[in-house]
Amino acid sequence: MSERRSRIEHFGAIVQLARPRALVFVDRARARSLGLRGGAAWDQRGTLGDRTLSAPLEAHLQLTNRCEVGCTGCYTGASPEGAPREWGLVEWKRAIDELARMGVFHLALGGGESATLPWLGEIAAHARARGMIPNLTTSGLYGLDTVLAYAPLFGQINVSLDGLGATYAKVRGVDGFARADAALAALRAIKKEIGINVVVTRHNFDELGAIFAYARARRLREVELLRLKPSGRGAAAYASLACTQAQHRALLPSILAGARRHKLRVRVDCSYVPMIAHHAPSRDLLASLAVYGCTAGDFLVAAKATGAATACSFAPPDPLRPRIDQLASHWERPDAFALNRGWRAADEPCRSCTYHALCRGGCKVVSGHAGDSRAPDPECPRVVDHRRRVVRLPVVTGA
Amino acid sequence: MSKGRILAVKWGVNPNSSSLGVDVTFLLFGAAALAAVTPMIGALIRWRKR
Repeated sequence: MSERRSRIEHFGAIVQLARPRALVFVDRARARSLGLRGGAAWDQRGTLGDRTLSAPLEAHLQLTNRCEVGCTGCYTGASPEGAPREWGLVEWKRAIDELARMGVFHLALGGGESATLPWLGEIAAHARARGMIPNLTTSGLYGLDTVLAYAPLFGQINVSLDGLGATYAKVRGVDGFARADAALAALRAIKKEIGINVVVTRHNFDELGAIFAYARARRLREVELLRLKPSGRGAAAYASLACTQAQHRALLPSILAGARRHKLRVRVDCSYVPMIAHHAPSRDLLASLAVYGCTAGDFLVAAKATGAATACSFAPPDPLRPRIDQLASHWERPDAFALNRGWRAADEPCRSCTYHALCRGGCKVVSGHAGDSRAPDPECPRVVDHRRRVVRLPVVTGA
Repeated sequence: MSKGRILAVKWGVNPNSSSLGVDVTFLLFGAAALAAVTPMIGALIRWRKR
């Protein structure tokens, strides 16, 4: 595999580095100095963020919706039966070919529990052969032998771990901590690039420090913190599991303190950008780190187990019913992924927010659960404060 | 001729299939740390093209 891949964009280019692992966004002059030529893509002026990328940076593929575990908050509503008409190896290979032609850099493979698929290794090898980095999330509860066998093919493998000991069962509704822990130990014994995904809920928020300490003790590469989404079974469990507003406001200081204390890399999911912006970090710094909020249908695309392409894993199928193995033609359409790409048409308080170009209005899935997918994220601290002010405005009656 | 600019660096890879993960560790160290790393990244993308 070549050490560097690149892709022309309207603002310049994106260059992938294998070590350190990074995607580097460069302007046109820097792209030219690297020997890249933009052609028609550079005919008009353009800056990063002013329009949709030519292709996603990463694709999230739900290879199956089969899973035996039955977690309370599962965002896909996975079941032992899986989804009707799930794709198999041939169809997913065709999808990977399409994504490779478009210049997608990374794949995030998930489910359901993809580790139980007998062809998981073949999919990962196919992605590598097409120049992409496949990455994997697994519960660690099933299919561990498969994951161990093919671990070298993956760029990063994360195990879902939503709490330690009894908290795991409290959040997931299933007592799987001991097996997930054993899976982490086995994976870490053969590979460095192992981490954990933690869905942050009101039940495990106060344990984040202990989870960071656990990750450090297990010599894990990183912790990825995910916001609970009201999707799948997560919709019914949302009211009882979602973090409180006080927890959302305390999130960034808590995780930075934990990262510093335990010397860990911490990633947060895109829906947490409103909670980051609440602490008013430098916008230039966030932009330099490509910290964006909802980039569904732009930086990322997803596919259901049936091959239906969606803007992100939580989004409903696009009304135009695109398939992931035919993504290129859909991507170019002006009406593709309209809900997510329409983030510029924002109501207050997003419209006047100086972070809006980065945050893009927060998570559309949470907004949709609250009644209007196009409305500002109702859990953003700025939105909460704005709505309190509006409610408190005095009512003016006739003179 | 200008060598141009690095506009952003997205660190790491994202294994999570439900959202775009962003590395916030650099927020600990601030813009100065990122500015110190950027020339190294510039050198690497130039070196790796050969």
